[in-house]
Amino acid sequence: MRAFSDLRFSPPALAALALLIVAGFLIDDEYILNLMIISLFFGAQAMVFDFTAGFIGIINFGFAAFLGLGAYVSALSAIRLGLSPWLAMWLGAGVAGIVGWLTAILTLRLSGIFATVMSWFVGLTLLSLATALVPLTRGSLGLSVPPLLEAAERRPLFFALLPLAALIYAVLRAITRSRVGLAFRAIGDNIEAARASGINPSRYRSLNFTISCFFAGLLGGFYAHFVGILTPEIMATSHTVEVLALAYIGGRGSLWGGLAAAFLVIPVFEFLKPLFEIRLVIYGLLLIAVMIYVPDGLAGRLARLRRVA
Amino acid sequence: MDGWALWDLFLTGLLRGGLYALMALGLSLVFGVINIPQFAHGEFYMLGAYFAYFAFFTLGSTPMVAILLAGAAGFAAGALIEKALFGPLRKRGGADWVMNTFLVTIGLSFVLQNGALALWGANFRGITGYWSGSLRLGSSMSIPLDRVAGFGLAIGAILAFWLFLGRTRTGRAIRAVAQDETGAALLGIEPNRIRNLAFALSTMLAAIAGGSLLSLNPAHPAMGSEALFKSWFVVILSGLGSVGAAIPGGFLVGILETFGSYFFGSVWQDCVSISIIILILLFRPNGLFASDVRGIWER
Amino acid sequence: MLEVENLSAGYDGLQVLWDVSLRVRTGEFVALLGPNGAGKSTALRVIAGLLRPTAGSVKFAGNSLAGLRPAEISRAGIRLITEDSNLFLAMSVYENLLLGAYTLRHRKRIDERMEMAFALFPVLKERRKQLAGTLSGGERKMLGLARALMARPKLFLVDEPSLGLAPRIMMSVFEALQSMNRQGMTVVLVEQNVNATLSIANRAYLLERGRIVLEGESGVLRNNTQIQESYLGLS
Repeated sequence: MRAFSDLRFSPPALAALALLIVAGFLIDDEYILNLMIISLFFGAQAMVFDFTAGFIGIINFGFAAFLGLGAYVSALSAIRLGLSPWLAMWLGAGVAGIVGWLTAILTLRLSGIFATVMSWFVGLTLLSLATALVPLTRGSLGLSVPPLLEAAERRPLFFALLPLAALIYAVLRAITRSRVGLAFRAIGDNIEAARASGINPSRYRSLNFTISCFFAGLLGGFYAHFVGILTPEIMATSHTVEVLALAYIGGRGSLWGGLAAAFLVIPVFEFLKPLFEIRLVIYGLLLIAVMIYVPDGLAGRLARLRRVA
Repeated sequence: MDGWALWDLFLTGLLRGGLYALMALGLSLVFGVINIPQFAHGEFYMLGAYFAYFAFFTLGSTPMVAILLAGAAGFAAGALIEKALFGPLRKRGGADWVMNTFLVTIGLSFVLQNGALALWGANFRGITGYWSGSLRLGSSMSIPLDRVAGFGLAIGAILAFWLFLGRTRTGRAIRAVAQDETGAALLGIEPNRIRNLAFALSTMLAAIAGGSLLSLNPAHPAMGSEALFKSWFVVILSGLGSVGAAIPGGFLVGILETFGSYFFGSVWQDCVSISIIILILLFRPNGLFASDVRGIWER
Repeated sequence: MLEVENLSAGYDGLQVLWDVSLRVRTGEFVALLGPNGAGKSTALRVIAGLLRPTAGSVKFAGNSLAGLRPAEISRAGIRLITEDSNLFLAMSVYENLLLGAYTLRHRKRIDERMEMAFALFPVLKERRKQLAGTLSGGERKMLGLARALMARPKLFLVDEPSLGLAPRIMMSVFEALQSMNRQGMTVVLVEQNVNATLSIANRAYLLERGRIVLEGESGVLRNNTQIQESYLGLS
């Protein structure tokens, strides 16, 4: 792939990574470490989601289902085929990537909102399949998944997720900064103009979906072995919306915005326990407020401030 | 398979279809007139069920009044929300309108659904029935009155709405704004007010649907999700170009789904439905009954 | 009735009108002439409220139209017919006309106006059940005019009605405008066809590159050498 021209991290990203590494070593509190894992997990999802929504301008509304697909494939291959969870994750990623590619093919003739609805339908199909194929997945009863690590301590698990998240960030960032990324943005801005300039929207859309669903599946694989019990609920649309909200609050098209938003929003909700009950209400209100008043999200605002200064 | 069972399935399908048609009509209206992909549509169905429940159970109204109150509350909620949310978005203007409003409706759906959860809890609020008794058809068939009434209300609402849109001054104005907003404004029609009205009407239709089926589908906060999916399913299948197409589309889906559920089992029926729609969209991306003219009314 | 003073306007930073002033008295038939791209349509759009001016004012019957929405300006009694008529293509001729009468309340008056519209353009009566999208170019123009007339506007702004029309149809459209004017309606006509326009208008303004360069009674303008050379093909 000619895309990997720039696999380095930018200074702020390196700083953030360093910060996370240091925090991972210094912090002893299991509770906080767990929070960090969750934030990182959601932040990584937001990045992957943004890779599609913020660049080619299509909202993959079945996102959670691709993550769940990766989760189930990983879990089942660990259970049935005896694969190590570390390998099984990548198998999950692969399958999710393929299904993502198929979904892209399905939606090629559809524009904007129709593609969104179609990807939503695909997600719902995956969800209902996971629920229906009880002999395979145990449906809503829950599938018991071999853990990633024997110990239940959070720190090693955090350091299991961190390289994955870092890898995802590095790869996505490299792609978005390459000619492929330019093509993505061109399609997202004005698909007709892109086509007129010789960019084949279908090819790039397929590429984008495959990559983002691949990484969604990877994260799903991690999730399965991290949480230990898998139910189809992970594929629910509300989960996609949570990720979507983070991505948009952070700023679409920024990649890192969602990660930052996750680290802001999730711990805050945890510490304000009473709010947790109406967490989703607040997500909704935040999303509405952001779309109406700050459509560029945090990252966008930051960029604008930097330009003014 | 005996004749009566078949007939019973058909009637159930018809009832479902009427409900779907009503919901899809509302959704079509919003998307066709205001160009908003409404993903909170199911929540207004849910609110309608709750309003009807409170009116019927708590206030002790008669069934008709309860359902009408639910409709009125749905209308009011829609009017307020449209003004508060989409007015400012419109001022912002721009190319991202469809996506932005989509996201706002997602947020709205979250707020409404979880707000309902916080306010009223997750318990199902059902009623045993609006009307007692059944309708006898022939010597061995009887349908509970509630189902008949539910169906009748759905049909009545659809008919009333059809006539409203087709034959009244305001209905014409709504269609005009959908087809050519500038042209409508140049004739003295206020597009913002019409849009607000269209949105409020769509939420009213959803609320009426929720209210009329209260005895069959008890109210609970998450009930909107399925209603949302079904509405979009019908609208995409029928084609977004026409409000009218949503009606036969709704009935078609209702009947096919009921039969599908019987033969495939309800668990597989979703997979089958979606596979079918994916196939259809592959060959007719604009839907089954689509047309080229981007008006919301077909003759 | 209409006072436009020092109007400047443009699109996306490109200025089209520069310091334009015109006056139209009640009952007059005034023409706004000029070559393609002079800004004539822009001027009408600003008056109708479709475009915000960057400077200047528009007053109708003594009241300022500044900041009013197009629908409000319509309701004040101004009707604009755009070049493409903005018809409701998926609705019938009859429904389009009905919508023209949106601001009227009494059924009888609407029926009367409908009859008058049909009298003015008999072909519309023939095709009244047809969808507007199926009409020919000339018929669409007629429908656009008839629709705008339904509410008996005080001021009628017409943008290039003759564009794309066969001469015969163009003449009947012009005759219709003349008859409406005689019945008391004030007309501002934007046209490229100078000859025909000058024969029905009382006065005219010549707009070139966004500025008014000439104004006067039709008779006087006919004899103006600049007009004769540039627009009437005489020298």
